[in-house]
Amino acid sequence: MKKFIIGAVSALVMATSAASAADYPSKEIQGIIQWGAGGSTDTVMRSVTPHAEKALGGTVVMQNMTGGVGAIALNYVAGQAADGYTLLMGAENPLLYKVMGLGDKDYSDFIPVSILARGTPILVANKDAPFDDYAGMMAYIKEHPGELRLGATGPGGLPSVITAMMNTVEGKLDVIAVPYDGDGPALTALQGGAIDVMPAVLGASIEGIRAGNMKPLAIFDVAANEKLPDVPTITSFNDKYNEMLPWGPFFGVFVANGTPDDVVAKLASAYAEGAKNPEFVALMDNRGFTMMGVSGQEAQDFLSKWQQNTTWLLQDAGLTKASPEKFGIARPAK
Amino acid sequence: MDSLLAFFTVFTQPNLLLLVGIGTFAGVYIGAIPGLSVTMAVSILISFTFSWDVYPAISLMIGIYMGGVYGGARTAILLNIPGAPSAIATAMDGYPLAQRGEAGTAIGITTVMSFFGGFIGIAVLAVAAPFVSDFALKFQPRDYMLLAVLGILLVGSLSTGSLAKGIFAGAFGIAVGTVGMDPLTFTERFTFDIPLMRSGISFIAVMIGMFGVSEALLQLHHIGLPAIRQKITRIVPSWGTLRKHLPLSLQTSAIGVMIGALPGTGGDIAALMAYDHAKRVTKNPERPFGKGAIEGLVAPETANNAAVGGAFIPMMTLGIPGDAVTAIMIGALFIHGLNPGPMLMIDKPDMFWFIVGALVMANFFMLLFGLTGIRLFVKIVEMPRAVLIPLILLLSIVGAYAVNNSITDVYWMLGFGFFGYFMRHYGYPLGPVILGVILSRLLDDNWRRAIISEREDLGRFSWGILSSPLSLTLFVAVVLIFVSQTPVWSRAKSVLGRRQGQ
Repeated sequence: MKKFIIGAVSALVMATSAASAADYPSKEIQGIIQWGAGGSTDTVMRSVTPHAEKALGGTVVMQNMTGGVGAIALNYVAGQAADGYTLLMGAENPLLYKVMGLGDKDYSDFIPVSILARGTPILVANKDAPFDDYAGMMAYIKEHPGELRLGATGPGGLPSVITAMMNTVEGKLDVIAVPYDGDGPALTALQGGAIDVMPAVLGASIEGIRAGNMKPLAIFDVAANEKLPDVPTITSFNDKYNEMLPWGPFFGVFVANGTPDDVVAKLASAYAEGAKNPEFVALMDNRGFTMMGVSGQEAQDFLSKWQQNTTWLLQDAGLTKASPEKFGIARPAK
Repeated sequence: MDSLLAFFTVFTQPNLLLLVGIGTFAGVYIGAIPGLSVTMAVSILISFTFSWDVYPAISLMIGIYMGGVYGGARTAILLNIPGAPSAIATAMDGYPLAQRGEAGTAIGITTVMSFFGGFIGIAVLAVAAPFVSDFALKFQPRDYMLLAVLGILLVGSLSTGSLAKGIFAGAFGIAVGTVGMDPLTFTERFTFDIPLMRSGISFIAVMIGMFGVSEALLQLHHIGLPAIRQKITRIVPSWGTLRKHLPLSLQTSAIGVMIGALPGTGGDIAALMAYDHAKRVTKNPERPFGKGAIEGLVAPETANNAAVGGAFIPMMTLGIPGDAVTAIMIGALFIHGLNPGPMLMIDKPDMFWFIVGALVMANFFMLLFGLTGIRLFVKIVEMPRAVLIPLILLLSIVGAYAVNNSITDVYWMLGFGFFGYFMRHYGYPLGPVILGVILSRLLDDNWRRAIISEREDLGRFSWGILSSPLSLTLFVAVVLIFVSQTPVWSRAKSVLGRRQGQ
């Protein structure tokens, strides 16, 4: 009800007054979270925004808008006035919408306010799995073709990208990919033995690993993670992975193209300030996320490189619906 | 000793006690309004309580959760519009009671039974959480699928009149549930290339339309009739009534805890399964089911409140949410600097006992707020229809909009409302439609997961069912319940019954 009233009031305000950049923010800002309440994106955004609000001197009312792998929220924000009063709080998925046939808009229609942090992928296995590391898993797959059940979250999800990397490096793996609604349900299934191995983000699996409910096989990064220093990196098993890493999901705040530069600058500095808050840094560290806090051209470069690498990886693995070429996404230079 | 202290934290600190109380009170009313859900309220609270300490924040959320699950029954009984999906079964016998002028009695029974169920749920959480969560983890995709099949067999119980029409309604519900982007492969299903169909049809919008709008339209037929006078003589049920229903309420509470503890199923399915269970085991109800049977209130209300304690079980022991509300609470714990997961119980046992204590308190507050103010509430049904009907429509529209802040949902809600009106007219029951929508995903996703994990080999899949004790038990239950609904069975039973009688 409260949200409804706020929504109605801010809509009224929006209709009556045109924003001017000098006194920004002169009214409540709407923050649209692309994913459901309680998920990673939601947690990150709800913990950083109150700190950013302080630096900004305004209020950001956050609202979850789910559906269509986040495309509903993205299209909604793209359709609002580009005045900095509607923020998109999202994750990496939109960069894959075009090649996956999920929509015709992506972050190229937006200006990044801040890319807050990125996650590190990790391969985890059921605690009773008959292997203890990545090499052991590969040997098991060779000996038992078509037996290993690998968790998935649908095309374009983190597991699909990691699986595509493994297929590129090791040749097509003969495994069964079992689809789940997200990494939470898949990791639950992993602990119950419904799947054997799951590529997940470190933050989602770290507590399970600490408790010994699942075992880590390899970190998908070029250097060991300080949260789990004993887990070997994937590059230590096969250095071909160096070409594709580091790679990981990320969280960012965006505004629609055409938003005045000084508004973007104000927002960017507010979020940069908020991301420095020790409580937030501790929270991100606990969940195993790597802080980035980049904006401006640096963020644009990060996004386009991420998109190039990932879309072409998926294209080469035969997982896309349309070639990245069609959207002018160039193949990354080797 | 420390755990005992942590358990009593809520009782000894007046501010926490107050917050649990405020939360429960708000929860009862949020739960009663269709479309305003506990999930929504709790997610708003995350931002609202950001700067608070963790105990007060959790106290408020727990109060809202407990109160909200109970509150859904209010509108179900008084207006035949379930305030929340978990109150659908409550409407089936609660509304007929209100129509007889016994709304006070119905609310009284629901309140006391919710309290009882809630208490059983909390007790299991406190005593046996690790065991229950180990058991819940054992459920494989095929077991969830069998559970969904078991759920679909409830169509028989939820259909009054023609079974064929009930089956049609159930199948329609399943089809509605599949509309949109398939969550496993992102393929579009039944979207006809219309963008707004992609995100699917909101299940809450279907529920509000089917129950709320169709009810309002149906009431238009009797607009001239005087409202039913409610006699409020006995609100608190007598000791005898409670004792009579004790065995049933224990069974349905157990159903509630278990279904609540399973990640992926919640209070809505628990309540429907409990209703079906009650219908099966009650030999001679004082009034037939669907006409105001007390057992039809006892079962769903004990089960959905027991499911609250159940949902906390995987959350506290493993960091896995038991339902949507606990998923948000896990997020809240993160934000407050805790690491919910398997280590939480070991690192921070105080948190566990604090939550148990807060739940106990919220349960008492629920009883208190539930039993007071009934007189005022019951006045709603005594309002003239010319006031009541627009009020129902207003509530339905606000509720449908509030779910996703989307006007599309309001259109869906109105569309399903008109459709529901005609379904009622032609004797098609509405319960199975909602059942179908709820179970659609559970059945579809898990069937595919189960068969994919067996390399799409039906032989291996069947062997999997036969070789696992859990799957076999569920499978036998499905077969037995199915057979017991066929004419062959009832004929065999009557033959047997006659022999025994001689």
